[in-house]
Amino acid sequence: MSMHNSDSASNNAANINYKIIGFGNIFMSDDGIGIRVIEELNKINFSEDYRNVVLIDGGTSGIDLIFTLKESDRVIIIDAVDAGQDTGEIVKFKLNRLSEFNEKKFRSFSLHDISLAEVFNLMRSLNINPDITIIGIKPKLIDYGEKISPEIECKIPEIIFQIKQEIEH
Amino acid sequence: MTENLNIEVSPISRVEGHGDLVIDVKNKKVEELIMRIPESPRFFEAMLVGRNWSEPSHITSRICGICSVAHTYASIKATETAFGVKPSGQTLKLRKLIFHHECVQSNTLHVYFLAAPDFLGAGSVVPLVETHPDVVKIALRLKQTANEMVRIIGGRAVHPITTVVGGFTKIPTEEEMLKMKDMLKSTYPDLEKSLKILKTLKMPEFERETEYISLTDKKDYALYDGDIKSSDGWVIDGQQYLTKINEKVVRHSTGKHCWASRDSFLVGALARFNNNYDKLSDKAKTYAAELGLKIPCYNTFMNNFAQFVEIIHSIDDSIKLIDEIMEAGLDEDKAMADVNIKAGRGVGVVEAPRGLLIHDYTYNNEGNVLKANLIIPTNMNYANIEMDMDAYLPLIIDKSEDEIRLAMEMLIRAYDPCISCSTHFLNVKLVNK
Repeated sequence: MSMHNSDSASNNAANINYKIIGFGNIFMSDDGIGIRVIEELNKINFSEDYRNVVLIDGGTSGIDLIFTLKESDRVIIIDAVDAGQDTGEIVKFKLNRLSEFNEKKFRSFSLHDISLAEVFNLMRSLNINPDITIIGIKPKLIDYGEKISPEIECKIPEIIFQIKQEIEH
Repeated sequence: MTENLNIEVSPISRVEGHGDLVIDVKNKKVEELIMRIPESPRFFEAMLVGRNWSEPSHITSRICGICSVAHTYASIKATETAFGVKPSGQTLKLRKLIFHHECVQSNTLHVYFLAAPDFLGAGSVVPLVETHPDVVKIALRLKQTANEMVRIIGGRAVHPITTVVGGFTKIPTEEEMLKMKDMLKSTYPDLEKSLKILKTLKMPEFERETEYISLTDKKDYALYDGDIKSSDGWVIDGQQYLTKINEKVVRHSTGKHCWASRDSFLVGALARFNNNYDKLSDKAKTYAAELGLKIPCYNTFMNNFAQFVEIIHSIDDSIKLIDEIMEAGLDEDKAMADVNIKAGRGVGVVEAPRGLLIHDYTYNNEGNVLKANLIIPTNMNYANIEMDMDAYLPLIIDKSEDEIRLAMEMLIRAYDPCISCSTHFLNVKLVNK
């Protein structure tokens, strides 16, 4: 995981430190959306405006997420997520609402060592309880390929808007 | 024997990726027994064509989050061989060091998180937190140490960035080397405790002798480098792999099947253990003996124990490597070797945690890839997995369907297959006709 520095907070939610983690495989088409969002945030120097934010390219790591979560207060996860919504639709929810997590049959497409659901369950069993917000978009295509589908890629600004909202409110 | 049985497992859980297991028994006769891999494995080879020489190692490191160091180095070695690049002795030692810790990362993940739940009677790693909290805590500590080792040397815990053709863009400091040594030493009590737990696990009794293929080296327990050795009595230079290792497309899978001296062969920790036992550290040998793991071992299930034994060896050998690097003195001037681009072909062969991994590139004069061939360990094991299933099924056919399903899944999981890089997902469905 690569880390991009932020020192002290200088924005609305100045005293809260956030980790924004993008997941996915950049060679599996829309599965790479989480990584693309992190790339975009780096490109627009997001950490300059939000100095209380650390951006993390989580790749396809699974169990390693535990170590990042263990050291975090607030985490925003960006991933390809099928929560029963339409293709290209963005969902945002707090992980601590476990009932929602189960009811929506939350499914991440990205992690392949142990599943994201297993990581979250393991985290709870180990009493690791950071505040986690998941912002997910339902992918159109998960298959070998370098490109994100246009109808998914065009949602990157909206995902970034949602991230800003989460930090500012 | 059950007269009619139709098992389809879809997907097989706790393996890397996704695929199907199909078992069809009619009138006491096995009609079909296959692992079906549904998706295209050749995407990455096609993607490499036309790329500049500095790109393949970074692209292929993204093939898999579990074997990213192995893909990085198979790629780098192929390119260095094509161009005739000679990395420094310091570079080779640092490469061996980082290589050990991807092996520890992956073997820990498999032994503790993916395989242990089967043997400890838990459905997954999550219930283990309640029933065997020590196991989970040890596993997390070992994984974190290995991650930190890869991060210090490679710049990131996954998908390393300092590792390039010619050497390293950045080498660790002396302080970091000493920190790594301390971290490694601190793992021994956890390994001792793990041994006590693993000794209580009963591996299924099943033996099928096959051909075992791995790297081999005169000095090292070969992971980063060496010649290719077969238990059927041949040793070849990795550049000559095509003279022995053959691939064929099979009807039911887009992952190719491989064969060498006979119908199938096995790669991975058990092959390395069988071929290179004498190069293991003394402590690793002691642990193997305690676990009842002896050469030659023909029980595929024991691959789980071989992986654990390799963790001990990797820790021991890493401490030795750190001492050697420190004694010679870290030297920034030796971090990068000269790279002179020229047309040519190079083969990079390494031991990924799951077994032999081959990258074969042909470059033009501008240093762009003309042709790429990747052979991935799980592809090499497919045929052997099917032959193992064929031999194992009659031994357990009188058990219940659930027991058969679990036993066959455990057999497949023992290979620690990584279908995400050989292809993508794996699926199993069990129906009595």
